[in-house]
Amino acid sequence: MTIDMSQFYQVFFEETAEHLAAMESLLLGLDVGAPDDEDLNAIFRAAHSIKGSSGTFGFSDLAEVTHVLENLLDRIRKHELPLRNDMVDAFLAAGDTLKDMLAAHQGAAAVEASVVGDVCARLKALTGGSAVAVQGASQAVAEPQPAAGATGAAGASDLPSYDIEFLPTLEAAADHQALPNLLQELGSLGALDILQQPATDEPGPWRLRLVTSQPQEAFADLIDFVSERDAWRVQPTTPALAETDEAFGLFEPVVADDSFGFFEPLPEAQTPSSAGIGASQPVLIGEQGDGYGFFEPVEASTPEAPANAGSVAEEGDGFGFFEPVPAPVVEATAPAPSADAAPPTVVPTTATAAPTPRETRAKPAAVAGEAASIRVSVERADQLINLVGELVITQAMLLQCATQMGDAAPEALSNGLAQLERNTRGLQEAVMSIRMMPISFVFSRFPRVVRDLSSKLGKQVELKMSGESTELDKGLIERIADPLTHLIRNSLDHGIELPEQRIAAGKPASGTITLKAAHQGGNIVIEVGDDGAGLNRQRILAKARERGFQVSDQMSDGDVWGLIFEAGFSTAEVVTDVSGRGVGMDVVRRNIQSMGGRIEIESMQGIGTRMTVRLPLTLAILDGMSIAVGEHIYILPLSYVIESLQAEPGDIRTLSNQARVIQVRGEYLPVVSLHELFSIPGAETDFSKGILIVIDADGAKAALFVDALVGQHQVVIKSLEQNYRRVSGISGATIMGDGRVALILDVSAVIESARTAQQAIAVAATAQAI
Amino acid sequence: METASPQNATVEEEQAACEYLTFRLGDEEYAIDILKVQEIRGYEPPTTIAYAPPFIKGVINLRGIIVPIVDLRIKFGLGTVEYTPFTVVIILNVAQRVIGIVVDSVSDVTMLTRSQIRPAPDFSASFDTKYIQGLASIEKRMLIVTDIERLMTSRDMELLDEAAAS
Repeated sequence: MTIDMSQFYQVFFEETAEHLAAMESLLLGLDVGAPDDEDLNAIFRAAHSIKGSSGTFGFSDLAEVTHVLENLLDRIRKHELPLRNDMVDAFLAAGDTLKDMLAAHQGAAAVEASVVGDVCARLKALTGGSAVAVQGASQAVAEPQPAAGATGAAGASDLPSYDIEFLPTLEAAADHQALPNLLQELGSLGALDILQQPATDEPGPWRLRLVTSQPQEAFADLIDFVSERDAWRVQPTTPALAETDEAFGLFEPVVADDSFGFFEPLPEAQTPSSAGIGASQPVLIGEQGDGYGFFEPVEASTPEAPANAGSVAEEGDGFGFFEPVPAPVVEATAPAPSADAAPPTVVPTTATAAPTPRETRAKPAAVAGEAASIRVSVERADQLINLVGELVITQAMLLQCATQMGDAAPEALSNGLAQLERNTRGLQEAVMSIRMMPISFVFSRFPRVVRDLSSKLGKQVELKMSGESTELDKGLIERIADPLTHLIRNSLDHGIELPEQRIAAGKPASGTITLKAAHQGGNIVIEVGDDGAGLNRQRILAKARERGFQVSDQMSDGDVWGLIFEAGFSTAEVVTDVSGRGVGMDVVRRNIQSMGGRIEIESMQGIGTRMTVRLPLTLAILDGMSIAVGEHIYILPLSYVIESLQAEPGDIRTLSNQARVIQVRGEYLPVVSLHELFSIPGAETDFSKGILIVIDADGAKAALFVDALVGQHQVVIKSLEQNYRRVSGISGATIMGDGRVALILDVSAVIESARTAQQAIAVAATAQAI
Repeated sequence: METASPQNATVEEEQAACEYLTFRLGDEEYAIDILKVQEIRGYEPPTTIAYAPPFIKGVINLRGIIVPIVDLRIKFGLGTVEYTPFTVVIILNVAQRVIGIVVDSVSDVTMLTRSQIRPAPDFSASFDTKYIQGLASIEKRMLIVTDIERLMTSRDMELLDEAAAS
């Protein structure tokens, strides 16, 4: 029975993308001079998982590239090759290619074969180039080595042998590479005899006999790549195995109650066992210690293999389970694992003792990781959020009914409703948190951006990040990535100076870009700072004049910095491919505004620049103030509200007898009358009877005249555009407690309309004067 | 059945009946494809929207969805525009949008075969003939078979953003 794999493709794509991302961030975090073994292993595992699953799902192109990648990684991991910067670059390039290939499988443009070929060639050059050297080096210590290779002849009696039977899948049989590759890999593990082989290109069963010191898990997953899960079988055959079984028999009780706990008593147990087993056993262990001392604990599981190998295979989680094991598989392809082979006198006890804790530690983590999260499509989460939104509205409706009943409402009802309110609020918060993701999803790409760009620009830059765990709405995460990337590129390109300039200015040669995220009230604040040259006020002003902007030398710094967000403004002396075309910053500001956020700049010449982006936590809920105009209720986003005041008669003056202004705390603010703006009949027209709300969007303030303030609520934002069209001055709609629709004001647009109205009046006035 | 000749097929096609919902606007009776109709409900005062033409009455909350309400009587200048407890709103599902239309009354659901629908004569009226699929007569009634989806997404209705409408 064949399973339709395509239903799992989406999961594969997501997982592979995650592995690639993990790989990239680990690569970027590596200290090239002294890489951490644990990190190297993690990178290797990521590559291996990609290779494994792409093989399983039939994406052989992905598997091929990762295979080459994995080979090089493996050698580095085993200290056969020193890690060099050009390798990291090659890995990153390979990661990018894999990403593109993955995108191609998801419908994007196909990756050119030459690109893939280049990457593979580059990796192979790095892998192979030094293989000669290693071979040379290992020649001296190669003496014990052939023992493992020649096991088929000499050591057969000492080593377990396995009968392998499998029926390749049709794809594997059709692929001319798959089976020879398998045979080669198996052959490199030990002595391989082909007992039965179908005619070329014919599907048919294979029978192999493998004599190897490797545990069964080491090659079981290789076979799994080419064969259906139930269509292969591995059986241990030789008496050597039985011997081993016996020898390690004393561990059995432990195995019974916890197969992973099995390793724990090993260090102590090792001594009596090796002492007690007699002459043949130490030979076995010693030999393994020579070649593969590092993997000793896996060795120890050999006797257990017949017992649980079947269940392992059935488990289906092959790649997770085998994670520590694949190393020997690939290791075997290298001619001589010199690092481990070099001290052939490795005492088995120490070799086993070291990896043991790691083994026991890694397993529970993997299990916990599986249980701790589930994959849910965004649509389902959104559906849930919508439903909860409905529930909140219904609850508000019920509450309103009960309030209208007043004292007539039975106590049980009001108690129940109070509890319902608490529960819905809790539910709403819990559901909203589903959409929340840590901002590290965005931040994680920046080390790469900074690395690539700084080397391109010849600058030395260090990126410091903090607050990566700050959570915000998934929708915002996706939309904030581009503007932030732009800000960082901008800091790198314009902010940070070249090393010589920095030293001349008395600063360290290496610049620093800081990226911070934090919660502040109902907002998330993201800061992009650099210790570069800072903005140049004179140059910005000069540029602004050149571009025909209305500027004066008396402008405040804040206003001057604001100019860089104007369309078509760039102060870069040289237009690079990074920035300087002047299309960026205005787009950045527009994007941030469209998310309901704003951006501020602080800068000091010679010290640095800091850009602060403020965003609401979510796009789905908004803290609003409900205001009444005539018979209508509008929602004003609370974040824009500064204060409200009641005007005394005469406070409001007119300009040219048309535009109205009011002086609030020394500032003249334009007065926007909402009923005039939206032509609402029946509204209060006497300014001293209604109320004025001072609103502020991006530093532009206005006083909004409305009839009354009604209250303050959290409202669920509904799209007006879904079934209707955009309405100027309205950013969305919501449903009030009574089930009616209230529109949410677009404060920026409202202020803008006040401005344009005033400008029109001013123009008309000057025209009249002339 | 498998051996049905092409001629038979066209006859069958002619005979294939679709169900149409008919409603009244003033003295005229209109028929729209029933598959475009989501539900029929009573009129409730909508929330008015600024800058909307007079025939767009505003938006209502239809179980959590914001739905615009168009009064076709105002749009076509037919019937008496008054809102009573008996005023009916037909909720349409067209072009992946949910839109409500106010009509005088809903009459019934009628089966119409393609052969029953006659092409409408070309005339330039306020009601653009391009939205009329044809005219059908049942007994003494004349039904104006309307392509409601095309009508609702047309620029005249001002329900869509300019970009989407073009």
